[in-house]
Amino acid sequence: MRTQSCIKIKNEWNIVQARQLGRDLSKQLGFQTVDQARITTAISELARNIYLYANDGFIKVEPINDMGKLGLKVVSSDKGPGIKDVRKAMEDGYTTSGGLGAGLPGVKRLMDEFKIHSQEGVGTEIVAIKWLR
Amino acid sequence: MDSPVIAHLKEHKDKIVELWMKKMDEAAAEAPQSNINYKALITTNETFAEVIYNYILNDGSSRNLNEFIGRILQFGWPLSYLTHGIQVFRRVVIEVIGGKAENTKELLQLYQQTDAIIDPISNKLIHDAAEQWENTVYLQKNALMELSAPLIPVMEKISVMPLIGTIDTERAKLIMENLLEGVIEHRSEVVLIDITGVPIVDTMVAHHIIQAAEAVRLVGAKCILVGIRPEIAQTIVNLGITLSDFPTRSTLKEGIETALKMTKREIVFIDQEGSD
Amino acid sequence: MRIPILKLHDYLLISIQVELDDQTAIQFQQDLLEKIHETGVKGVVIDLTSVDMIDSYIAKILSDVVRMSSLLGAKVVLTGIRPAVAITLIDLGITLKDVPTALDLEKGLEKLQQELEG
Repeated sequence: MRTQSCIKIKNEWNIVQARQLGRDLSKQLGFQTVDQARITTAISELARNIYLYANDGFIKVEPINDMGKLGLKVVSSDKGPGIKDVRKAMEDGYTTSGGLGAGLPGVKRLMDEFKIHSQEGVGTEIVAIKWLR
Repeated sequence: MDSPVIAHLKEHKDKIVELWMKKMDEAAAEAPQSNINYKALITTNETFAEVIYNYILNDGSSRNLNEFIGRILQFGWPLSYLTHGIQVFRRVVIEVIGGKAENTKELLQLYQQTDAIIDPISNKLIHDAAEQWENTVYLQKNALMELSAPLIPVMEKISVMPLIGTIDTERAKLIMENLLEGVIEHRSEVVLIDITGVPIVDTMVAHHIIQAAEAVRLVGAKCILVGIRPEIAQTIVNLGITLSDFPTRSTLKEGIETALKMTKREIVFIDQEGSD
Repeated sequence: MRIPILKLHDYLLISIQVELDDQTAIQFQQDLLEKIHETGVKGVVIDLTSVDMIDSYIAKILSDVVRMSSLLGAKVVLTGIRPAVAITLIDLGITLKDVPTALDLEKGLEKLQQELEG
């Protein structure tokens, strides 16, 4: 089994690659279909954020084992403009018609753990984990 | 080559076992186990002593020990019986062989060697017991999960999911999954979610139910929320949630009638034979 | 890559069988609208049985195409959304509130028939 995989996000096609990676890896690790879809969708959202707002960055997917608890860790990192107000970015939009940008709070709900670190002008790193049920 | 302690253990086996049995007996007399009869206790004690000895002398072959621990726990004996037994064994061994030491250094060595022999047994005991409990908890949790959200196909196109008990986030996820899988499996067009048996409907629970109803709509079926008590109606309104997309009814009976209408059917009464 | 659009009587049928990348999704939106305009159909079924993931972007394209089609006078029904996909959409906060749905292609067609003819 691959222990870690990384996809550079530069164009729209890379988004598809990133989510295929997440789909394969979550299937290999034995996630149920619903969680497979959750992970794949979360990766798609994160990859799209990089593509839309940061020009390029990376999506890293790796299995983790925390004292016997198995999971999948997704790391999204870019050197883009960063997020000015992280708290605001994590607020739920009331309408979904906006579509784009409804991403981050959604990703947080899809995954079990979610950490975001962003600095204006420096970049953004998001770490999200889904534990195997 | 055997360590001196092992040699002593072999040599004084009879004495150690006898003393141990006596102390176990005394302990049982002081704190009688109501559900364990005396005869069974004696036999079990004998086996226990045998098993400990076998384990020590066979140098770690743990099959008998495993079996014994498993059986004792399965019969519902307390773990404290086993741990106490080991503690007493340690004390008895020290008592019997401690006198053989010629000086403090030797005595200390005997102590350490005894610990090295007995510690693994008590570790194993606790490990096995914990494993068995974890296993039981796991099985029960699974059983509870299976019971927790059944979707019942009551008639063609109509299914009912009766929810009973507290709904937390984890259970809400399970309910949602069972609900949707069931809708697909039974090709249900209308699903009635009956919350009569849900004691507390707070904002969180209401939120979960509404999400489930929205998900049901996405897969192409419709939801009716039934079993709504007055206080639940209050919560929903206080939440500021409009349920116009999902019909709600106060009873399952009314819900079924609505579901029939939605699937363009109705219940008709037929005349009994011979009445006309 | 292009998603085939079939015409059956007064309806258009689309079964999405490929991984939807952005380009394909946008192309599909355009193709469908042109086909509706060209044929003048009143009903469209988009079957998503084979789709195992819908992110917010694809969801937006789909809900947009439903509204755009209705501007052209055609009613669109989405069918066969899988449980896992429905759950992730809800997690994302996307309910596709104004988009009609049905269990499968057959029920989708029934639904259109009822609403357009009955």
